[in-house]
Amino acid sequence: MIDQARADQAYGHVCWSSDDPAAFDSRAREFVDEGLAAGERVWYVTAGDPTGRAAPRRPLAGLPADAPPGAVQVVALAQTYRRGPRVDPSAQVDAYASVTEAALAAGYTGLRVVADVTPLVRTPAQLDAFARYEHLVDRYMRARPMSALCAYDRRELGDRAVAELACLHPETNAPVLFRLFAADPGRAYALTGELDPSNHELFRQALSRVDPPGPDGRLVLRAAGLRYIDHRCLLHLDDHARRHGLTVELRTAGTAAAHLVELLGLSRVRVAGAR
Amino acid sequence: MRTGAAAGHQGCYHEAVCYGSDEELLAVVRPFLLDGVSAGEPTMVALGERTAALVRAVLPGNVPVSFLAPVAPDTRPTVAIRAYRRILDTLVADGARQIRVLGELHPMAFGATWDWWARYEAAMNRVYDEYPLWSVCAYDLRATPAAVLADVARTHPRLVTVGGRRLPSPGYRDPVEYLAEPRLAPVDPLQLTPPVVELLDPTPVQARAAVSAADDGRLPVDAVEDLVMAVSEAVTNALRHGRPPVFLRLWVGVDRTVVTVSDGGSGPLDPFAGLVPPAGDAPGGLGLWITHQSCSHVTMERAAGAFTLRLTAGNPHFLD
Repeated sequence: MIDQARADQAYGHVCWSSDDPAAFDSRAREFVDEGLAAGERVWYVTAGDPTGRAAPRRPLAGLPADAPPGAVQVVALAQTYRRGPRVDPSAQVDAYASVTEAALAAGYTGLRVVADVTPLVRTPAQLDAFARYEHLVDRYMRARPMSALCAYDRRELGDRAVAELACLHPETNAPVLFRLFAADPGRAYALTGELDPSNHELFRQALSRVDPPGPDGRLVLRAAGLRYIDHRCLLHLDDHARRHGLTVELRTAGTAAAHLVELLGLSRVRVAGAR
Repeated sequence: MRTGAAAGHQGCYHEAVCYGSDEELLAVVRPFLLDGVSAGEPTMVALGERTAALVRAVLPGNVPVSFLAPVAPDTRPTVAIRAYRRILDTLVADGARQIRVLGELHPMAFGATWDWWARYEAAMNRVYDEYPLWSVCAYDLRATPAAVLADVARTHPRLVTVGGRRLPSPGYRDPVEYLAEPRLAPVDPLQLTPPVVELLDPTPVQARAAVSAADDGRLPVDAVEDLVMAVSEAVTNALRHGRPPVFLRLWVGVDRTVVTVSDGGSGPLDPFAGLVPPAGDAPGGLGLWITHQSCSHVTMERAAGAFTLRLTAGNPHFLD
């Protein structure tokens, strides 16, 4: 239970589905203030030119005017994610890791990023790469003192694209029914919410973006916060495990999943009590 | 090579013996069992405690007849099918040419839940037909209601007379026809009261939330979880395969929770839906089968322009 409680704790990886600039500014300001109060360095990543020579994509209304010198840095999106037509997931995590370590070396307690990354996920290939990056950086944030408010403009991207990204965050304002995110710095993941026919395809995609388990071949899903999982998703988990030569351990206090696994005779999914 | 009356028969040989006294029962089942043992056929008995003791008393002490756990009041037909299929699979794999089973239902099955046991008896003719099974189902005339006996005659291809003669059942109907008939289960008295929840066209999320919210701790946690799952499947099927409007109604009794999910369609096309997993991609079939495993009682009612699934968690025996 202690591990699960820790897994459910917020560690500051937030997906913000935005269709109201004022609401985003308000949330961004709150997020930045929390970071500054905690002694973190803030990166405010914007699609506009932060030097002011060209019009920013939007005014930087979320930034406090009274931040300590150097604590808040406004960074161009093109400089932050500068690797070809789509993000390079591993390289991008490495880049943020360097910035995080630099912030720590400079005496800050961590790195806090606010980024409207809508321009980076406009095509299906970009979306796929970025979703993979979101998973990798989620794992990094679970292990190191980096946090991020990732904003996506729902009006430009549509509900489906935002859902694909939102379900890989531990926190979101998007109306996704389930979330899959890092449960600890190792290779266990937390699975929360509800899985039913309305989100099978989303779940399948999310699972495909998750790193395979460690050498023991076990994909551990800590599911104390999973209120419902239907037989279709369990069949999919079993199929996923079979295709990747692994076993899935679903840790849930509920009895229904174990009942279904027994009924369906699934050999690759094991249901264990939540812990 | 099969022996006895079933010699030469392919598949499930399904009979009923309706007896008026213990002596009449024993006169039929003793030779049935001993002949099976003599032929080297796996021979099993699944009777209630009293009847099993009667039978045991007339068998030689060391005769290899297996006495299985009797059907309990809370046994579900789909669970019985799964359990028997596992046993039959093993015996056939071990080389059995014929398997003899003498069974009876718990008397509580003749009450409010008889409809799904009647469906089970009809389905037996199909779902066990891949096995060389000779099944004799015993019904005590002193304890079996007339309406149940009428269904027994319609679901068993053969009847065994007390004199041991085996006759075709004149009322027998092919299971596909029998299962397709409109079947009205007794109305649960709770349904005559205003439901505590009534939702029009609920999403599965709303349906699950409504069932969870109605839980007041009276039922075991796993029964509530199973009901949530069953209702979610029922609503999903109604929205996907039925016709609007979809209504969910929920009643809470002292010992049970009852939910009905109705839509304007005609229900599943597969007459065996719910009793066995779908063979192919029958829409909603797996969900309905799981529903039958998860609830203590499930009824399916068809009326003009309406199909209603009634799901019960807790004690379904409101007539007893």
